[in-house]
Amino acid sequence: MRPMKPREERIRVGGIDVHTWIGGDGPPLLVLHGAGGNRGFTRWLERVAQRYTVWAPTHPGFGLSGDAEWMDGIDDLARFHLWFMDAAGLERPHVLGHSIGGWTAAEMATMSPGSIDSLILVVPAGLKPETGEILDVFYYPPPQLVPMMVHDPKTVPEWDALFGTPLSPAQQEIAVRNREMTARLTWKPYMHDPRLAHFLPRITNRTLILWGREDRVVPVECGEQYRRLVPRATLTVLEQCGHLPPIEQPDEFARHVLDFLGGDGRR
Amino acid sequence: MKLYYFSEMPHHEYPDAEGEKYPSLRLEFPNRFFDREKAHANYQRYLTEYELADQVGFDGLMVNEHHSTPSCVNVGVNMSAAILARTTQRAKILLLGNILPIEENPVRLAEQIAMADLISGGRVLSGFVRGVGVEQWWSNVNPIHNRERFEECHDLILKCWTEPGPFRWEGRHYHFRHVNPWCLPLQTPHPPIWIPGTASPETAIWAGRRGYTFVPFLVPFEIARELFDYYRKGAAEAGRTVTPDKLGFLICAVTADTRAKALEAGRHFVWRMGPTLRGPVEFFSPVGMRSRAGTQFALKARPRSLGSMSYEDLVAGHFIIAGTPDEVADRFALVQRELGIGHLLLEAQESRMDHPTTMRSIELMGAKVIPAIAPL
Repeated sequence: MRPMKPREERIRVGGIDVHTWIGGDGPPLLVLHGAGGNRGFTRWLERVAQRYTVWAPTHPGFGLSGDAEWMDGIDDLARFHLWFMDAAGLERPHVLGHSIGGWTAAEMATMSPGSIDSLILVVPAGLKPETGEILDVFYYPPPQLVPMMVHDPKTVPEWDALFGTPLSPAQQEIAVRNREMTARLTWKPYMHDPRLAHFLPRITNRTLILWGREDRVVPVECGEQYRRLVPRATLTVLEQCGHLPPIEQPDEFARHVLDFLGGDGRR
Repeated sequence: MKLYYFSEMPHHEYPDAEGEKYPSLRLEFPNRFFDREKAHANYQRYLTEYELADQVGFDGLMVNEHHSTPSCVNVGVNMSAAILARTTQRAKILLLGNILPIEENPVRLAEQIAMADLISGGRVLSGFVRGVGVEQWWSNVNPIHNRERFEECHDLILKCWTEPGPFRWEGRHYHFRHVNPWCLPLQTPHPPIWIPGTASPETAIWAGRRGYTFVPFLVPFEIARELFDYYRKGAAEAGRTVTPDKLGFLICAVTADTRAKALEAGRHFVWRMGPTLRGPVEFFSPVGMRSRAGTQFALKARPRSLGSMSYEDLVAGHFIIAGTPDEVADRFALVQRELGIGHLLLEAQESRMDHPTTMRSIELMGAKVIPAIAPL
């Protein structure tokens, strides 16, 4: 594969500077990150960017993007990213979101299904599990939490690069910011919106739901719930995988994404 | 200097080995260890102790509130204040305090404090606190909003007390279309407001600007002085002069007929310094509750956690004062000289300190300590 170098831009939306990674070649794919923040072009994304032009904005309040202390919930973030699509000139992009980014993507599709091509929801929060519970990620110190995010740290190819070194003060500040903004958006009702289930049947887009069988954060039963509620959704469950499928199984994950989007190179 | 009596109304009525099995006594220690019969008897004795403190001459009776913890089963500061408003005659009743950020209805709070003030004949000192993180978990109010809600709740309570109704309140966190409380405090314009501080420079400045009485809790003298400097900075911004009656300090203290007995009783305070504060930092300071400045100051304010100190360290650092009446009077005078305060709040009962020991300590404070330090 040809190595490609993504660029960083600041895109102004509603008075907020949105730090955005952009790279790749092909139709646009909007990628919305989870609570851990925007990790940029990690291995899976480099693969996907071979076939798609990836736009990966950092949510307001996270990382290097501007503040949005007025936001109260994921529905605010969804409206914001629909606006971001306008500002960035993205016409009917595919949208892929991970965890709270997946929840955001689902909300966006309920608000404006015609603005989105295909939808990929990766371990999305947003629905209250019918039997289990979503892990209270704020209740645990981050060092204790990180290993709970994955099935087995030893099998994660980029573990050392992503989690293996102590954070610099600047990285630490970003980690605190990410955690604070996540709390602002998801504290109550915790990591779900009771109204979302009523709107999900509006999503007419082709939809792929991806889950890790061993997800200890958002239980896999939520994947079943999404599949039942979104009319054209299929659910794929990755074995021996936790809450970070793009990081835990980057090659397998990228293959599922490319297969679904029809851009896996087999044409 | 004025002296205040305070008990957290602890419920240390379980085997310690059971409590140690859990990451924290707060939030996690199961309430199947709550003993209903003992709690009934304890509330009676704690209230009797407060009543004696009133009778022997304490200037004030302080009550506080916590949740989901055996360290303090006073679960309603206004409820205990209302009882004392009726069963005591003379002392001020210091609510320190109502936990504003977790309150959903500030108007109800304004009414309840007013009612306690009315019943007591205008003896209420109304403390407002931001609370510890445990109460954010207990109430499930977003800790990100802690300071915003503290300030907005405060503003609405003050408006209830000082501006005629009916009026409308449309804020960021509180919304009421018809505010017109038919219960206003006896004291005008309103009861004095007190604010505690342990680690937040912003709170000290905020209290200073408004001229509220500011009380650091259980910090080293140099930290208390630094917080008072922040307080003075806020006061100066508002053109206020700071007098000793605007400054207080909280310590643990017990006296007895002999030094040995007092030192033995003082050991009961160690429980509140260590075991009851044990737990993950997220329990006490959840995400977003503290500003960056507050976090930095907290690290400085507690170079050593109270829990890591021995009883002897705690006594040497004046976190605990235990001795004969003469000895504790000398120590209180030292605290007064060191900090220039007008109010000394005594956490005077803790853990398993028994009723006779507590009653004797209160009697001796009244007979010998209060007269000695009152002129200071």
